[in-house]
Amino acid sequence: MGNKIIERTKIMSIVFSVFSVFAVVFLSCKDGKKPVSSLQGDKSVLESILSSADSLITFPFVEQRVKKIKEALQLPKPVLLYPDSASAKQRLAEMIALNDSSFTQFLFDPFTKMPFRNEVFGIHQARESDMAGIPGPHNLAECFRVEMYNYALNNTSVAIVDAGAQKVLNRFYLSDTQPDPPYSLVDLANEIAMASPEVEKALGFKPTKEKLLAQYYKTSLNRTRCERSRHLCVAPTFLLGEKTLWAIVDLTDHRLVGVRWITSGKTGPAAPILTERKLQDDKISACFCEQETALIKDGWDMKYMLTSSDGLRISNVMFNGKPVLRNAKLVDWHVNYSGTDGFGYSDAVGCPFFSQAAVIAWDPPLILDLKDDANKTIGFVLEQSYRSEGWPTPCSYNYKQRYEFYKDGRFRVAGGSLGRGCSNTATYRPVFRIAFAGDGNNFFEWGNTTWNQWMTEKWQLQNSSTPYSPEGFQYKIASAAGGYYLEPGKGQFNDGGRGDFSYVYVSRHDGKRDEGESDLVTIGPCCNTDYHQGPEKFIEPVAESIQNSSLVVWYVAQLRNDDKAGSEYCWAENKLENGVWNTKVYPCFAGPMFIPVTK
Amino acid sequence: MNRYFFLFMIVISTFFSCKEEEVDFSLNNCKRNPVFIQSMGFNPAKSYLSTSEERTMGLVLIEAEQPGNPQSRKVKIVQHPSWRKGGWLAPILLDEKGNIFTAPAPFITVYNNPIANNNTIYKVDNTTGEMSEFLKLPFADSINPENPFGIIGMAYLCETHTLYVSTVAGSRRYEERGNIYAISTESGGIIDKLAGTDALGLGISYITGSRELYFGLARNSDIMSVKLNSKGKFSGDAKKAFSLAGIGPRGDDKVRKIRSDQNGNLVIHGMEFNFNLIAPREKQETLYNFIYNNDENKWEPRK
Repeated sequence: MGNKIIERTKIMSIVFSVFSVFAVVFLSCKDGKKPVSSLQGDKSVLESILSSADSLITFPFVEQRVKKIKEALQLPKPVLLYPDSASAKQRLAEMIALNDSSFTQFLFDPFTKMPFRNEVFGIHQARESDMAGIPGPHNLAECFRVEMYNYALNNTSVAIVDAGAQKVLNRFYLSDTQPDPPYSLVDLANEIAMASPEVEKALGFKPTKEKLLAQYYKTSLNRTRCERSRHLCVAPTFLLGEKTLWAIVDLTDHRLVGVRWITSGKTGPAAPILTERKLQDDKISACFCEQETALIKDGWDMKYMLTSSDGLRISNVMFNGKPVLRNAKLVDWHVNYSGTDGFGYSDAVGCPFFSQAAVIAWDPPLILDLKDDANKTIGFVLEQSYRSEGWPTPCSYNYKQRYEFYKDGRFRVAGGSLGRGCSNTATYRPVFRIAFAGDGNNFFEWGNTTWNQWMTEKWQLQNSSTPYSPEGFQYKIASAAGGYYLEPGKGQFNDGGRGDFSYVYVSRHDGKRDEGESDLVTIGPCCNTDYHQGPEKFIEPVAESIQNSSLVVWYVAQLRNDDKAGSEYCWAENKLENGVWNTKVYPCFAGPMFIPVTK
Repeated sequence: MNRYFFLFMIVISTFFSCKEEEVDFSLNNCKRNPVFIQSMGFNPAKSYLSTSEERTMGLVLIEAEQPGNPQSRKVKIVQHPSWRKGGWLAPILLDEKGNIFTAPAPFITVYNNPIANNNTIYKVDNTTGEMSEFLKLPFADSINPENPFGIIGMAYLCETHTLYVSTVAGSRRYEERGNIYAISTESGGIIDKLAGTDALGLGISYITGSRELYFGLARNSDIMSVKLNSKGKFSGDAKKAFSLAGIGPRGDDKVRKIRSDQNGNLVIHGMEFNFNLIAPREKQETLYNFIYNNDENKWEPRK
């Protein structure tokens, strides 16, 4: 047994690989299933492709662009100059504008003094309308409108410059506004789209410039098509018969966001407002909220789907043909702020449309390889992300839900917070519901020397005096077929977790009543600090017998966030990198591991 | 005199003055201050009602140093014990007697807002301040967990003492089951219904020459209008008046609320809405002003 423990401990030192992200993201979800709704019947949604950030491909032409950006950020005036050809007068106007301290007031972050990425997008001949409010007269032929875009702040600075008089006549700023990008950036977007495998896959051939519809490069009015990331995005489109393939390209990160077909008809393409959010929400809804997906891998067999408010639900889980779980899901996230009595939120996670979710699914579920320290594949992970718009701004949230399945029959039900919440006094309490298969289960806790059976429904807190078996197990769910040990988080799973301090509840499942088998509404308030997290309502006031029963294990972890430098936990910070904001995350994961009982 | 200057804040900072004993039908302005404001010791000139206090569920009465300025210091806050019974609330509407009508709306979670209660109209008595159930609107069918919302918008027609209420209760992603009800505040009964329409914010204007109820659709950015007859019932079919599609910072805003200004032009409060409970920290609401072009008989955004 001792050797087994050492071996298991080694395997626990897993690293999560993004090696095979392919499975869910790049596959259509049609699978020959009968459509059940109008969105299900919308082939363009079902076959849309969302590009995963993890599959980012750096093209040679992008590397050259990145080099130019880095060089510009080293300059005293860290600005990428207008990249297209320009007359001497236009260049003079650009120089005059860049020497105006008001026009250039957004070049640096006022706190860190680090440079933002700024780029001159246009030096246009001024029109009469540009001169409104400017005392004249002026020679319009000498006047230019200089537009500069700030990628980090997503704003536009405008200067009206009289090149003849060599002075700035007016300047103003437009927040959340993007000027028309210069031709060279449009070309770059085209190159990214044409070189992206997702576009080639959707078209069925390697695209060429001849298939591009130039008139649809422009963004939708002044807004970005990437309203979630607030990046500079444009939408190159490819015409194929009466269908148009829209590709959303992110010019801040130089990557493809996703593609989707739109039927344009014989009179030419309509102009749908296809955006990052719409592309993502429609795809997630059609493929994962409205139908189950089967997953067979590494001896495991199950179905999964996104719920209205209980996160990603797995069901009919079997290992090597034997039933393991009836289902499992993440019912709630309770967030309590200790600095203020009774202040916090009960966040449900789930589908983006028609749901009770306060924090919605952001990407499709991912299937990742699970590897040990030796880089050997030992199983797989089914992972789902949920995010608030605007994260990581204060009082926004980002959660991950993760199921780990090992080739040796172990599995883990886990979840984590990536901050940032409203303050550094938050305690996150994810509520997991894990329903075991079979109706002949018994539940035991380790009592220093032996396994002691729970005869009736009950709850218990994991704390500093909790006894664990020599293998580190706290509970055992036993059945005639074997069963599983439950190993709670104690900071041993190498995922950044620092211990779960969990409440565990065991309730008896009765098929004649619904105690959370279907989608559960929020079952607990935000801010209770004791065992009243919601599951207690299924074991009180009368505790039923749980001998030889169908059992449900409720697991409520408690995770206290931290923003102190060097010990951040359940936290996220924006940091300026290459002139734009990137988010550094400090996740706190929790959740129990289940290990097969071997006889 | 204070009564003439009493200001009400609905939701966060929307103000409108209330006249007393003077009904201007053409402007549909007959709202009167509740008597209980003064009897509770509040200065009507500096007080407002709110259902959007971040940490206080239900209706609250607030006296502030500078009503209208959200940053202003709050001098007094009071909550009648009955004002929490509906959970988190959303619309606030006054009638000509000073009665207040309101309804539940879930905030982030349904924990305090059971879906079964989201189709209930509450009335706060203008003299006692007591909130009680006014009318429970019928549900389309059994409650479905897909959609946590019920009543969203309210408007009041002074002429006929008719309360218009929009509800999306029972609607599903592919089944539009919402209704707009016309309710007599005198009898408490439903006098008419516009069925099969998921609508959010409601407003009334006479600017086209007839009484019209305007409502924003919940599933796209269109604003519809329907004529009202002299009894307050719907007259004819609803038609599209204008749309928020493609305008504003998001381009696909839905209508949270509609107000008409003193000329009958419309002020639209637009925000994101997808039948879920996301709650952006930064309130992403945009005001759109639409004016009626009499020459071309159409609504246009104010430039």
